[in-house]
Amino acid sequence: MTTTTTTPALTITPSRVLRSEWHKLRTLRSTWITVLTSAALLLGVGILMGATYTSDGGDSDVDTVVLTLYGSQLGGIALAVLGILVTAGEYATGMIRASLTAVPRRLPVLWAKAAVYTATVLTVSLLTALLTFVTAQAFLSDTDQAASLTDDGVLAAVAGNAAGVTLLGLIALGLGAALRSVPGAIGAFVGGVLIVPEILGMLPYEAMDTVVRYFPTQAAGALGSATPLPGAASPGAALLALLLWAAAALAIPALLLNRRDV
Amino acid sequence: MIRAENLTKRYGDTTVVQDLSFSVRPGSVTGFLGPNGAGKSTTLRMILGLDAPTRGRATVDGHPYAAHRAPLTHVGALLEARSVHPGRSARHHLMALAHTHGIPRARVERVLALAGLTHVAHKRVKGFSLGMGQRLGIAAALLGDPATVVLDEPVNGLDPEGVLWIRTLLRNLAAEGRTVLVSSHLMSEMALTADHLIVIGKGRLLADTTVDELVRTSGGASVRVVTPEADRLRTLLPGARITAEAPDTLLVTGLEAPEIGRAAAAHAVPLHELTPQAASLEQAFMDLTRDAVEYQGASA
Repeated sequence: MTTTTTTPALTITPSRVLRSEWHKLRTLRSTWITVLTSAALLLGVGILMGATYTSDGGDSDVDTVVLTLYGSQLGGIALAVLGILVTAGEYATGMIRASLTAVPRRLPVLWAKAAVYTATVLTVSLLTALLTFVTAQAFLSDTDQAASLTDDGVLAAVAGNAAGVTLLGLIALGLGAALRSVPGAIGAFVGGVLIVPEILGMLPYEAMDTVVRYFPTQAAGALGSATPLPGAASPGAALLALLLWAAAALAIPALLLNRRDV
Repeated sequence: MIRAENLTKRYGDTTVVQDLSFSVRPGSVTGFLGPNGAGKSTTLRMILGLDAPTRGRATVDGHPYAAHRAPLTHVGALLEARSVHPGRSARHHLMALAHTHGIPRARVERVLALAGLTHVAHKRVKGFSLGMGQRLGIAAALLGDPATVVLDEPVNGLDPEGVLWIRTLLRNLAAEGRTVLVSSHLMSEMALTADHLIVIGKGRLLADTTVDELVRTSGGASVRVVTPEADRLRTLLPGARITAEAPDTLLVTGLEAPEIGRAAAAHAVPLHELTPQAASLEQAFMDLTRDAVEYQGASA
């Protein structure tokens, strides 16, 4: 058998743009710092929750997955910052000019960034969430929060937690691409995605409560619970809502990308 | 081969580039010259598809830049503004760009060596000097072995050795048959490297010519005359443009030295000095762009 080695033609292909974005993601310190910070927060808070839990402490009604993965709220912020750095960070440094000169059709760059980010963050979040749940449960075995991954809804909630964190981060990535400023996008994410729904939820209107449960953070919360949370969307509806939010957050910069000068 | 056709760029009410048409041919170094704020960088960004023209279009090898399937093999560019993430190493920066086109790692190593960056390739760009940053930008521009090279103010911030390196590189690239377009606001630099010149001011084309032609047609050639009878000599040279540099020194434009000498001899005006002044390229450039400079300093 003979093997002929042909030099592949030098052209842009979607898989090559993906490879380029993966190379970019893994060769920055900020990636490792944000990813490890989020993992450390999730695991650390999980261990803290497990080690300090007592059955008569008044938290018996808290969902066991929500309790053990409580640190994902903090860890998720670190991953949202990573999402913002992936897009807005390139505008801050000027790298975007090199990126869009290399791939002048532009949109493949945004899709590749979103894909590489999603794959990386989902993998890391899922593995960390599994490790955190199992580790925290080692402390909870003789409490009323004892649970195992095979219990009803637990594995789905652990995976849901990781999916929720990933999709929230993808929204942050889209905000970074639309606003093209790291501080601007962090402000918009913290203000618009994390705080505003909380304020809206406090308004004394019945309809508002129904709307707010489909907002990103609330939907992510519903996804990460093994038992239905009071006043929250069903996991299926929550996942759909989050997917739509993330799609919208990417559609806006996608529409702007080819219209704006770099 | 670069071609600009009626290229126009407006930002609100401000017209940065107006109706600019020119073409840049292979095999020679074309200087893209203009005072600061003339619209050079904007024009180059339009050629590279980073800025969209308000009107007109720019093509590279017959197509708009973005229409190429492998743009880095057509045009390599060094932009004026830094286009590198400072947290990434030089090698990883180039690898990330190379991956988009499937350019092999060996080519990355080759352009690193060419730019003299091999020994610092693993270091983060953050710690690079201005000159090393420029060298990395040029390495990136050469990555795809492009037929056309566009460099925006490449000698900015370079030490003399770096400037010499750029000059030699540009000449070599042109000698290999590539199209080379280099912008600068310094005529003296272009005089040393460019064969052809495209001069713009306030976004308009002022000249599309060769270096020699520009000097010849600039009309700046004059003759310096030193005579104790300056006032009398003035009356003997009708039709010439005469300015007095000092009470006994005149600068005469529009007449050649022999004609002035004959006129002086015929009327017995003693001449202490009669020197033809070749117009410098710098002067030709200043004359050309005098009305087009954005900010003019008052002469002392």
